[in-house]
Amino acid sequence: MKQEPLVRLLGVTKKISSKVLVDDVTFDIAPGQIFGFLGPNGAGKTTTIRMMVGLMSITQGDITIGGYSIRKNYEQAAAQIGAIVENPEMYKFLSGYNNLKHFARMMQGITKERIDEVVELVGLGNRIHEKVQTYSLGMRQRLGVAQALLHRPKLLILDEPTNGLDPQGIRELRDYLRRLTQEEGTTVFVSSHLLSEMELMCDTVGIIRHGKLVDIRQLRTDEGERMFEETAFTVSDADAAAALLQDYQAIAREHSVLVRGDRDMIADINAALVEAGIRVYAIQPVTRSLEDQFLEMTGGGSLVE
Amino acid sequence: MLNNFTRLVANENMKIYYRVRTWVMMGILVLFNAAMPVMLYLTDAPMDVWTVFTWTESFTIYLSAIFTVVIAADIVAGEFSGGTIKLLLIRPWSRGKILLSKFAALCLFGLLCAGITMVVGIAVSMLLFSGNAGFSDGFDGSPMSNSLLLLLTDTIQVFVISLIAFMLSTVFRSGGLAIGLSLLVLFTKDIFGFIFNPERFVWAKYLLFLHTDLSGYISSSVGPGGVGLGFSVAILAVYCILFMLVSWLAFTKRDVEA
Repeated sequence: MKQEPLVRLLGVTKKISSKVLVDDVTFDIAPGQIFGFLGPNGAGKTTTIRMMVGLMSITQGDITIGGYSIRKNYEQAAAQIGAIVENPEMYKFLSGYNNLKHFARMMQGITKERIDEVVELVGLGNRIHEKVQTYSLGMRQRLGVAQALLHRPKLLILDEPTNGLDPQGIRELRDYLRRLTQEEGTTVFVSSHLLSEMELMCDTVGIIRHGKLVDIRQLRTDEGERMFEETAFTVSDADAAAALLQDYQAIAREHSVLVRGDRDMIADINAALVEAGIRVYAIQPVTRSLEDQFLEMTGGGSLVE
Repeated sequence: MLNNFTRLVANENMKIYYRVRTWVMMGILVLFNAAMPVMLYLTDAPMDVWTVFTWTESFTIYLSAIFTVVIAADIVAGEFSGGTIKLLLIRPWSRGKILLSKFAALCLFGLLCAGITMVVGIAVSMLLFSGNAGFSDGFDGSPMSNSLLLLLTDTIQVFVISLIAFMLSTVFRSGGLAIGLSLLVLFTKDIFGFIFNPERFVWAKYLLFLHTDLSGYISSSVGPGGVGLGFSVAILAVYCILFMLVSWLAFTKRDVEA
């Protein structure tokens, strides 16, 4: 079952003078997903986000949001996006409420009730009528989320959303984003360089390095279960098992074979092994943290360059 | 669509008038428009209402110019220095319309300053002085219309100077630079007019400096270098369109970077 992607990046390239910041990046994001955009600092995450929201021009390629091109139909495309780009900088001399009123005026059909609803949602309570000057960073983050959600956007873009949040705030954000995708069908695009955060939060991650998209990886199945990358069969004769499982591209280890595959395939493999007279002692999913995979993929070294 | 556009202007107005700074500036403008006639009254000089208002206006117009320039310089550059430009430009509005709403709010502020000067200055002058006391101002026409025409030409000058500030604010994204350079133009234009004298250089009559102050045409139909009012107005219009075009290009075409 393939849904029409909500977001499409088609060969997106950004050049500033002769420096290539983002190089021919292409990927789709299906609706209702939490998509994590991962990469070391300076890899081109923020540049890509700035192109998605129209703050930067696109040198080559195009981005479409719900079928509307950012280049050609900016106003229609932007109407579907809510975003926080880096820090949520609001008008400090206005109250939180007036900030929301300001952004509500720029969008179609936002009622006073909707503003109150969003204030309730992010839990700013009575302090919404105080000037933003007096807010803590956590409160500004909440106000930032509130302004991004005002118009019930189909796509919510958050650039480094966990910056400056305490562990509880991160947890709340994670739960909240999950609820948003499930209840309102919102698609969420988050960027981060914190791998462990992304692992807990995202359905799919895209990894960018030196401006190039290195990999797209699904972390969860469509049912929301964690995806297992590999399964290890502990067997009596690993080499024989590996030879038998050539079709599955099995890798022999000392006392086990590693296979990539889904549930049904694992059952089939087990049956095949038993049939061939190889004793199976254990079948275990091998979960490697995203960090391990990331380091493996990018060849280790420093994440920050 | 127009209805929606007025909401953008309402936003810009909110950002101007919810600041203490704006009310301090308004307060100073009201104060000086009232204080000047009072001080002239205390000198016991035999003056009429319109002379008093002309003197008052000649002073307070500089306040209007400074305040309007401060607003103009901040209206675009302030969004960049505060980082709010990112949240402003990701809305479903083209950048051109957002810039236009800022320009409209700026024009409204300029008109408000002129309105304060007119209402407060004339009201206090009328309260303290009466009729024509025979103090000749040497102009043709009625003292009242000359006085109001001077306010009009001075307001046009404030408009041009603040448009320069608006352009610099958009191009450099720095409010300080915009305030400094545009006020420099206001205070040094006479020196430039003297150096690039249109009597000596034929091309000098096309310079902006000579034409920002149209008040000379109230008493004389011949302007700098022998040109007429129409010529001056045309030069002003061309420069204003040029400044707007530069602002528009700088605001719509450039990337918003970190």
